[in-house]
Amino acid sequence: MAERILNILIASVGGQGGLTLSRVIAAAAVAEGLSVRTGETLGMAQRFGSVMSFVRIGEDVTSPLFGPGEADVFIGMELVEALRRIHYVRKGGVAVAALTLKPPVSSSLGIAPRPSKEELVEELREAFPSIRFVDAVGEARKLGNYRAANMVLLGYVNGLVGILKDESVEAGISAILRPKAVETSIRAYYRGKELAKE
Amino acid sequence: MGKIGRVDVLRAPPGTRAALLGNEAIARGVIESGISVVTGYPGTPSSEVIMTLHAYRAHELGIYVEWAVNERVAFEITYGASIGGARSMVTMKAPGANVAADPIVSAAYGGVEGGLVIYIADDPGPHTTQTEQDTRWFARMAGLPTISPIDPDEARKFVKVAIELSEALKLPVILRSTTRVAHTVGDVVFGEATEPVKYRGFKKDVKRFVRAGMSWNRERHAWLLQQLRRAEELAVGKGLVSSEGSGEYCVVCEGVSCGHLKEAMRSLGEGEAEKIKVVRLGMVNPIPREWVKKELGGCSKILVLEELSPYLEVTLKAALHGLDAEIVGMEEGIIPSVGELNPAHVTAALNSFLGRPTEAAGTEVQDRAPPRPPPLCPGCPHRNSFVALRFGLAKAGYSPSKVPVFGDIGCYALGVSPPLEAIWTEHSMGASISMAAGLKIGGFEGPVVAVIGDSTFYHAGLQSLIEAVHKRIDLLVMILDNDIIAMTGHQSTPAWARTETGREARPVKIEEVVKAIGVEHVYIVDPYDIDKAIEVVKEAVKKPGVKVVIMKHPCALWEARVKGVKAVYRVLPEKCTSCMACVRVTGCPALYVAEDGKVRIMEEDCTGCGLCARYCPYDAIIRVERR
Repeated sequence: MAERILNILIASVGGQGGLTLSRVIAAAAVAEGLSVRTGETLGMAQRFGSVMSFVRIGEDVTSPLFGPGEADVFIGMELVEALRRIHYVRKGGVAVAALTLKPPVSSSLGIAPRPSKEELVEELREAFPSIRFVDAVGEARKLGNYRAANMVLLGYVNGLVGILKDESVEAGISAILRPKAVETSIRAYYRGKELAKE
Repeated sequence: MGKIGRVDVLRAPPGTRAALLGNEAIARGVIESGISVVTGYPGTPSSEVIMTLHAYRAHELGIYVEWAVNERVAFEITYGASIGGARSMVTMKAPGANVAADPIVSAAYGGVEGGLVIYIADDPGPHTTQTEQDTRWFARMAGLPTISPIDPDEARKFVKVAIELSEALKLPVILRSTTRVAHTVGDVVFGEATEPVKYRGFKKDVKRFVRAGMSWNRERHAWLLQQLRRAEELAVGKGLVSSEGSGEYCVVCEGVSCGHLKEAMRSLGEGEAEKIKVVRLGMVNPIPREWVKKELGGCSKILVLEELSPYLEVTLKAALHGLDAEIVGMEEGIIPSVGELNPAHVTAALNSFLGRPTEAAGTEVQDRAPPRPPPLCPGCPHRNSFVALRFGLAKAGYSPSKVPVFGDIGCYALGVSPPLEAIWTEHSMGASISMAAGLKIGGFEGPVVAVIGDSTFYHAGLQSLIEAVHKRIDLLVMILDNDIIAMTGHQSTPAWARTETGREARPVKIEEVVKAIGVEHVYIVDPYDIDKAIEVVKEAVKKPGVKVVIMKHPCALWEARVKGVKAVYRVLPEKCTSCMACVRVTGCPALYVAEDGKVRIMEEDCTGCGLCARYCPYDAIIRVERR
């Protein structure tokens, strides 16, 4: 990996706020004077489909993509999607997943396996032993809006890795989120940061 | 630092730095280049240009920005504006260019006065498009200058470049992007705004604008060829082509492949990158042949990086014919011909090109997670329509699995997945009705069904319906009317009384249009009233000729956003017998099977349509008012 570029992979289910998370990170990076590229696939996978966002920040980023084994930071917003993409994190990278399970229709119909939360956590630990888990939705709900789970996760990884300054993240949040969601999102971000210390 | 708040993409001063999606950056480019008319038809990955202009109220800056009924109409509107001197832009995804091909090709002969930018977004992958179509060939066929930016900030700049080229050459100019430019967020620095340029005069000039005269057309063809030669000069003069470095090993790139290349070159060892000369083609049609010969004539080996098809490679092989250089790329299998390019492909191609050992590519990881194809959303009225179709056909005495259902382009195509497995085809805009008619004409004797959404019906279904009615084909047409263009992110349709800009519009009602075409049996039913919808299908399918059932209910996502969700459904575990009827009938993604083997509902995803409760034989699913 080029030394001064950080690769972040966000795995989510459409509608969870994975794209918003990627946009907040991008806006925060620009607020910090860095360059950024994200690779999104908007469109039909957006709603309840499998979504993967690439975010790359650094001094001079020119490509929006990276390959398996190249993510420095991995954020799984849902356990099935985290399992689907965990091979993107590099050795020595940091992986965090929300303890949220949204089984796909294929599982409910019984045409695909129906792994439990515990089984998914175990499989993820097997794939990447240092992965950490956060009850991001539960924490966000305590703050008044479960939708802020993405910001809890952002706070958590930023607490672990120190990607961006707090004021840049706040700038990113106020640039991207609707004015009425800004306050809760910022609180969710700091709550996530606190959790990372525990 | 501190809070920066939302950046007003259209009004922020020059020098503002922001993280923008490629399409948002193009919307800023509209402001910087004096464009006064913008229209188009939504299509991923092109839609956010107009959506951004709407979100930031471009109409208050004196710009006409509205969706049109389809791409050809949209293009013709911009063409009419531009021959009167206004600067304009039309936006579409690549298949939209097929729809608009007829007027676009003729416009290359007539030419323009005000600059006209045709924004076409290609989709290598493909992520959300029916084919991996390459607009560059279309551009060459039409004879239109075409420029291709490498990232969001260049996409912004290229709007202005396209307007300048267009006015210098008096030709429409294609601004072509791909998913990884259009849907990439990048750091963008704003330029100066320019006042919108409107009507400047329209002079009658029949040789130019009447295509009925064949000798005029020969003259205009000669004119076009002359303008394209000038375009080659302008490509060089305006810096749309550039080269960096020197050496016998040359790499040619275009669009996002230049971004991948730059990073791949950094990962080469010490001194390796210096051996490579990089030639970057920002203009892809025409290719400035003299310049290319000068820049690439001294190369012994040339690697061409591009996506979708070996367009540049073939073009360069012709332009450099007779020179010694060995040209490699897609045709030699150095880069993939299918799917999008990524940095790993570029690194591998560079290594192979330089004769260096290639690291074994990472083995494909088996996806251990259960698949998640995009489903219909919870509460989606299309689900109800498909359930009504299945049970209605059964009640009418047909075996639903033997009745061909021709689908069309839109969210309802997602009904192809289990358990609905509702459609047999999804082809092109409006094709459901005409293909269903074709099957009947070909000799199929049983009932056939065409399923088409409201906006797709306006876009290209109307003509198909006219044909089917006129030829008296026995055909059941279901128009799924959710009052919005849902799949591309909720845009207006011709049924709206007020558009996104607040413009007062005359609603064009589907039932009136259908009746006027001559359909005798027209039914309108709310598919949320599932039992009635089933009865309507049962009755309609038996009628002779073309019958139209309009399944009318707003998009559930939109309805939830506008009205909020007042009630959701909940499973009573003590009553649930794990019979799975709810899951098998609906395939709703808000339903799941818990560890006790019983069904549960993710209440934050439920929008309260109640279809699962309707099909629970044990009354185990109840309605719960939301507090």
